[in-house]
Amino acid sequence: MDLNFTPEEQAFRQQIRSWVAENLPKDISHKVHNALRLSKDDLQRWAKILGKQGWHGWAWPTQFGGPGWNAIQRHLFEEECALAGAPRVVPFGPVMVAPVIMAFGSPEQQKRHLPGIMSGDVWWSQGYSEPGAGSDLASVKCRAERRGDYYVVNGQKTWTTLGQYGDWIFCLVRTSTEGKPQTGISFLLIDMKSPGITVRPIITMDGEHEVNEVWFDDVEVPADNLVGEENKGWTYAKYLLAHERTNIADVNRSKRELERLKRIAKAEKVYDDVRFRDEIAKLEVDIVALEMMVLRVLSGEKSGKQSLDVAGLLKIRGSEIQQRLTELLMLAAGPYSVPFIHDAMEAGWQGDHVGAAYCAPLAATYFNVRKTTIYGGSNEVQRNIVAQTVLG
Amino acid sequence: MDFDFSDDQEMLRDSVRKWVAKGYDTERRKRIVQAGGFSREAWRELAGLGLTGLFVPEAQGGMGFGPTDAMVVMEELGRGLVLEPYAQGALIAGGVLSACAAQPAVDGWLEKIAGGDALVVLAHQERGARYRLAQVETSATAAGDGWTLSGAKSVVPAGDLADAFIVPARVSGAVDDPAGIALFLVERRATGVKTRGYGSADGARAAELALADAPATLLVPAGGATHAGHAALEYAVDIGIAALCAEAVGAMDQLVAVTVEYMNTRKQFGVAIASFQALRHRIADVKMQLELARSMSYFATLKMNEPAAARRRALAQAKYQLGVSMRFVGQQCIQLHGGIGVTDEYIAGHYFKRLTVMELSFGDTLHQLGEVSNRMQDTAGVFA
Repeated sequence: MDLNFTPEEQAFRQQIRSWVAENLPKDISHKVHNALRLSKDDLQRWAKILGKQGWHGWAWPTQFGGPGWNAIQRHLFEEECALAGAPRVVPFGPVMVAPVIMAFGSPEQQKRHLPGIMSGDVWWSQGYSEPGAGSDLASVKCRAERRGDYYVVNGQKTWTTLGQYGDWIFCLVRTSTEGKPQTGISFLLIDMKSPGITVRPIITMDGEHEVNEVWFDDVEVPADNLVGEENKGWTYAKYLLAHERTNIADVNRSKRELERLKRIAKAEKVYDDVRFRDEIAKLEVDIVALEMMVLRVLSGEKSGKQSLDVAGLLKIRGSEIQQRLTELLMLAAGPYSVPFIHDAMEAGWQGDHVGAAYCAPLAATYFNVRKTTIYGGSNEVQRNIVAQTVLG
Repeated sequence: MDFDFSDDQEMLRDSVRKWVAKGYDTERRKRIVQAGGFSREAWRELAGLGLTGLFVPEAQGGMGFGPTDAMVVMEELGRGLVLEPYAQGALIAGGVLSACAAQPAVDGWLEKIAGGDALVVLAHQERGARYRLAQVETSATAAGDGWTLSGAKSVVPAGDLADAFIVPARVSGAVDDPAGIALFLVERRATGVKTRGYGSADGARAAELALADAPATLLVPAGGATHAGHAALEYAVDIGIAALCAEAVGAMDQLVAVTVEYMNTRKQFGVAIASFQALRHRIADVKMQLELARSMSYFATLKMNEPAAARRRALAQAKYQLGVSMRFVGQQCIQLHGGIGVTDEYIAGHYFKRLTVMELSFGDTLHQLGEVSNRMQDTAGVFA
């Protein structure tokens, strides 16, 4: 047993750290460190900087143009990016659909889609949830009917994160109503510029436009855009979910946010209040424990000796911690979290802040982050999964 | 970074587990509890496996092993609900005495600990101190070549049956001054030493220790501004915390296994109670606390060789997590059993009681939260 990274791993970390310091634009990291609004341009600029280096798909194997890093290297890369204030990479392309295309897509699909995902030029969205299919994802109804060389798609997807920027969308569509719900689902890649697609904003309670409804009205999709086999989409979707292991915990970002919480608590003079500081102390222990759990998983992946099936636990704990962080951040500013000035959450706003500038987005972030225990399989669904592994 | 156990450590685990399974079943445990809570015979069996010398250097007849080996042993002793104070008599005594082996006072004791011929335990608890280690009223007075100690210590593990005590006592300063604390060795059979034994809440044994001009030999001098004696006491307690964390993981692991088995066999409303979602979510939460605890037990052990400040901070974080986990897992596993869980006959209650006592040892959860809170830095994390 050894807690420390090897000298090689530490050298790798150093190399990533220097690269990020040189290449991450300061205006972007400023926004991330202060929870200010990120534009499409911010996200895409960073994606393209990573793409140029061949790191936008940082978990990809070399045969598809990735760096071929192992689990530890991937973790170190993610950590260095997070601590430096890099925006979260929009996962739908490089983290979600790309591994599915690599594993189940045709050589043509791989050649067509992977380069654009790696370079950051093509923005992907996710078409999973529907109004009637949330936690019960297998009950998707959005229909794809085969007509000659095309599928004709009709139906609706929802909660499509940043779908307003999407060039392409990968969808779970119903191609059969026979048998169990899981057996009639297919995995389809759809060009969002196709006629018949409408994207409508859903404004969340923080006042932001982050998620969307996507409507499909007789949308013609070339049959070549089917990934793998018809009616096998559920298998691919599960593969995609299983691909998310440790970074679902997002412990690196939580470490960064804990530092911010301490800074703000000190500035607001609540750090000296034992009752408040103890709440930060509890969260600090929660974060260390979560990080240790993540490291245990990584160690298991590296040695292959003990596999640790704790993805559900990581999701539950990671999301609870993110929520608690935003809660304490808001409580630290107290009454100065109340003013809700939309423009004050924009970098470089020249207006008069109420309280300190850092107070402006605290309530909005708290509102926004209620999503983490709901998305990606609600925490209650995760508990069902954990219970299954414990009770058999 | 590597959390795998070596082959040697797996063998060590096997040997302890086998001894527990064969030599320390619930019937024997019950007999030991009824006989007072400590068995010298069981202690000698542990010595026979080489375990009491785990931290004793090979030159003194021990194994000279490290914190991870101790963790492996403690997990298995916790799983087996072993009553004998191994963390105290082997790990703290072996660790502290090895660290000051040059002192004449240590002469011969390490060999006796390794051989199972002597039980040496830390006697640090005082009535007014709660969990504050710098709060020491027991006084030490230089007398000729040696020292005499006067004062009282509480809840000393197997104190009326131990052979000697490691005793923090004050040589100078105010009652809470860390600069004036030295560590001494006091033999139980010496003049001026009185003990009063009793059973503890978990079925083990403890004692009150009264010292009236009792002769003592110096282990670690107070060290004035270096706080050497106080630092050695903190180190001793941190050995104890790391050990308890591992013991708790073993105990919780087994308690959860027992509970899962019960949930899958007990039927109500015509079905196994494991089919009810309210209970399924509860066991998921229990599993969460168990894995967080295991993670922090690893953390505690792997931070044992860090510089004192980093070690103290990490150990406080670990004991806080373990405190939260022990209470939650203990309470919920009793609840998941229903009525059978609260009986003396069934094993779950005995795990519950041991987990409860461990929370109260070496700083309870609120105390550790205060320690973490006072030691917070700008950055936090496993490597911060």
